[in-house]
Amino acid sequence: MSAFLEYKEVIGEGDFVLAFIGRDNIKPIIVKKDDILNTRYGAFAHNSMIGEKYGSQITSLKGYGFIHLLHPTPELWTLSLPHRTQIVYTPDSSYIIQRLNITAGSRVIEAGTGSGSFTHSFARTLSKTGQLFTYEFHESRYQQAKAEFELHSLTNVIATCRDVCKKGFVIDGYESGCDADSIFLDLPSPWEAIAHLPQVISKSKRVGICCFSPCIEQVIKTAEALKNHGWSNIEMVEIAGRKWEARKEMIRDVSDVIGRLKDIKRRKEEGIEIRDKLQNQNQNQKVGEKRGNEDSNEKEQFVKKTRIEREEKGFNPFGKGLRIKEGDEAYNWKDISEPETEVKSHTSYLTFAFKNAPTKPIVNHQS
Amino acid sequence: MDLSLESAEKPVSFAKETGVITVGQYVLIKLPSKGLKIVETRSDGVINLGKFGSFEVNGILGFPFGQSFEISADKKVSPVKSLVFELEEEELENMDQETSRESTPILELMKNSSETNRDIIDIGSKIQGITSEEIELFKKQNNDNGEILISKIIESHKGFNKKTKYSQEKYITRKQQKFMKKFTVEYLSSSNLLKYYEEKDLSKILNLSEETLGLMLNLLDIRPGGKYFVVDETGGLILYAMMERMKGEGLIVVGHENEHPNFNLLQYSNYTESAINSMIKPINWLQFFEPENEKLIFNEQTKEAIEELRPQKKLQYYRRQKRIIEINKTIDFVTGKDSQFDGLLYCSTIYPTTLIPNIITKIKGSRPIVVYNQYKEILVELQHLLSKNLNVLAPSIMETRARPYQTIPGRIHPLMSMRGGGGYLLWGTRVYPKEGGVIAVGRGFVRRNERKKQKLEKEEDNDDNNKNN
Ligand SMILES: C[S@@+](CC[C@H](N)C(=O)[O-])C[C@H]1O[C@@H](n2cnc3c(N)ncnc32)[C@H](O)[C@@H]1O
Repeated sequence: MSAFLEYKEVIGEGDFVLAFIGRDNIKPIIVKKDDILNTRYGAFAHNSMIGEKYGSQITSLKGYGFIHLLHPTPELWTLSLPHRTQIVYTPDSSYIIQRLNITAGSRVIEAGTGSGSFTHSFARTLSKTGQLFTYEFHESRYQQAKAEFELHSLTNVIATCRDVCKKGFVIDGYESGCDADSIFLDLPSPWEAIAHLPQVISKSKRVGICCFSPCIEQVIKTAEALKNHGWSNIEMVEIAGRKWEARKEMIRDVSDVIGRLKDIKRRKEEGIEIRDKLQNQNQNQKVGEKRGNEDSNEKEQFVKKTRIEREEKGFNPFGKGLRIKEGDEAYNWKDISEPETEVKSHTSYLTFAFKNAPTKPIVNHQS
Repeated sequence: MDLSLESAEKPVSFAKETGVITVGQYVLIKLPSKGLKIVETRSDGVINLGKFGSFEVNGILGFPFGQSFEISADKKVSPVKSLVFELEEEELENMDQETSRESTPILELMKNSSETNRDIIDIGSKIQGITSEEIELFKKQNNDNGEILISKIIESHKGFNKKTKYSQEKYITRKQQKFMKKFTVEYLSSSNLLKYYEEKDLSKILNLSEETLGLMLNLLDIRPGGKYFVVDETGGLILYAMMERMKGEGLIVVGHENEHPNFNLLQYSNYTESAINSMIKPINWLQFFEPENEKLIFNEQTKEAIEELRPQKKLQYYRRQKRIIEINKTIDFVTGKDSQFDGLLYCSTIYPTTLIPNIITKIKGSRPIVVYNQYKEILVELQHLLSKNLNVLAPSIMETRARPYQTIPGRIHPLMSMRGGGGYLLWGTRVYPKEGGVIAVGRGFVRRNERKKQKLEKEEDNDDNNKNN
């Protein structure tokens, strides 16, 4: 049973789990009796996972530090998989699936397989009733991907080691074609592969294609090849995906600033008074030693007083110096959204095109 | 419980013809003006496209989706290569070389052009030597033939030869959009249905864009056979897209705020009513929150009494019975105390913070929570709320925007304008927080509290770590 094709509720031995350690730290594991998962938050016994529901939180062997046990999805897999190549991320892959109208039962050709990121997403959506043909010419990358698909029981994926630009897409058992209704090409020269498509695409359905290329020069060659091979509705788009986190920004009122400035001024004056006083006292130090205690008392009281003032006023008289916890209820906050510090400003250009099915003459039964 | 919602009357068919135009289908019609229309292909029917003319449905049957047609005077159609005439790069070159390529009247007219637009004097409409009255007259005289009309317009355009080939092409395209009686027939996919509302009334679909629809469906991890809780205020666009992806397998419970749900757009789905009813189960919020009071009571009649009913009444009786059983089943299923659903998709103008925490408990562990809103601010508030609610792991807000390009080799550039907006998504995963701290049962109370504190501190550490990443 594949965790990418069917749902499971309770974790058993041999099940595939994504251990969620942190947002950028998701570790794929196969649950095995007596195994231990080591993380920076502690060691977690696989035994403690068996029998738990997917979505459960478990604690480390030491009793503190925790992780969540997640059910695999292609979207989480994309965030956790071992990169062997550049991969296609969810904003791009989801758009391609939507625009090519891929559904349960679709038949899709993908080249090259690369790290198999998009393969998982395709496989889930076209489901057990569909079929995915994926091609990769790099031998060891192909072997790794194939082993991974087997481990994940992606029974609807047929992986082939092949240079599709030179040898095309026809494979054993599918000599008369793959009956593919959608094509996805993520390789450096898609225009060389396009010529081989007529043998394998559907003869009865409208066929869609998407070529995924980072450079505009590739788009030009691809668009020309598509046109020359009878594809129409050629259009290129770019997808920009962004992520935001909800945060809170302190509402710092100008009247508070004025209050603070006044406060500084006042304390300065008080400070001068105290300093003068202390100086006088220092000069008299030799006379009475015990005064030292009283000095520190006085300082302490001064610090205490400002703290109370701060709390009463609802602003921080020290300005930015003091660390305040975001959302501290003693202050006013505005909900804001913070963008990621670095964004993927360009993944690739997506060139789409379509090919109509052949006309099916209608026998007019009415005449 | 699991099977309690499956309909007994299966199988219903979810197979659809997506390759060629068949009779009895809703299809999308694209007009040269870029306008869109949804029409039904009734056998022997006639479809009226307004100023672009009328045509007989039988003429388009059997042709593939994506095919363009031209309407002739007698409502007949003939297939044509494309909606508007587009010049190929090489055709432009070939024209200069007087090759033997077949030429159209318009291509002939383009044989004279200028290297640049520099000789064009901008004298506005005077440069066009034909008036709109003359155009109307000419149309009548020539059986409404678009191509002849456009040739005529070009002939009387004094500055046409001074234009470059590119501007000539642009000019011709504009005239074609106005006068050609052509159209293209497309399969009504969820994306095409969305495009139609993009043209017609975006507010009806809450400003949702195609790319956001795609992202939301993938984040929801839709699988055939899954059971989803959906709130769809787009009139059924999202439901339509989900039904297409699931191809009839699985269930969608739809929370709604009226006495009867509004899935108007599903009428275009080409699915039968019983197919729709077998997959989609509505429940309103009153039924959701007060199931005890809202379950319907059916006054069962004796067999004899039923037999005595008139056929019409009898049918009504059974229909009512079926409906009530369905509603009660749905209420039981949704309000049962176990989590039931493989995902939540929320697309509603009901303020999400007021409703979502109540639905989350119905979602199974490690299943996606996806919330759509037109406005990021509303999702920010929701993310704050969910970050405190330990039932949702790592919620964050996502945005996706597609930027379309003019894709003609040699003249590639982003389109000068594109639609703004398209909405935002909040995506998180439903989890089960560990109950009662971390200590196994049977340890001392004091130590237990100690550990609990330790755990909480650690938790904050983890949180900090998450935020920093
Ligand atoms: C960028 S990666 C694909 C990544 C993949 N889409 C993913 O999401 O993981 C491109 C892959 O195409 C393969 N490739 C390049 N040219 C090829 C060809 N002619 N035939 C088959 N595979 C090819 C490369 O070896 C590489 O692994």
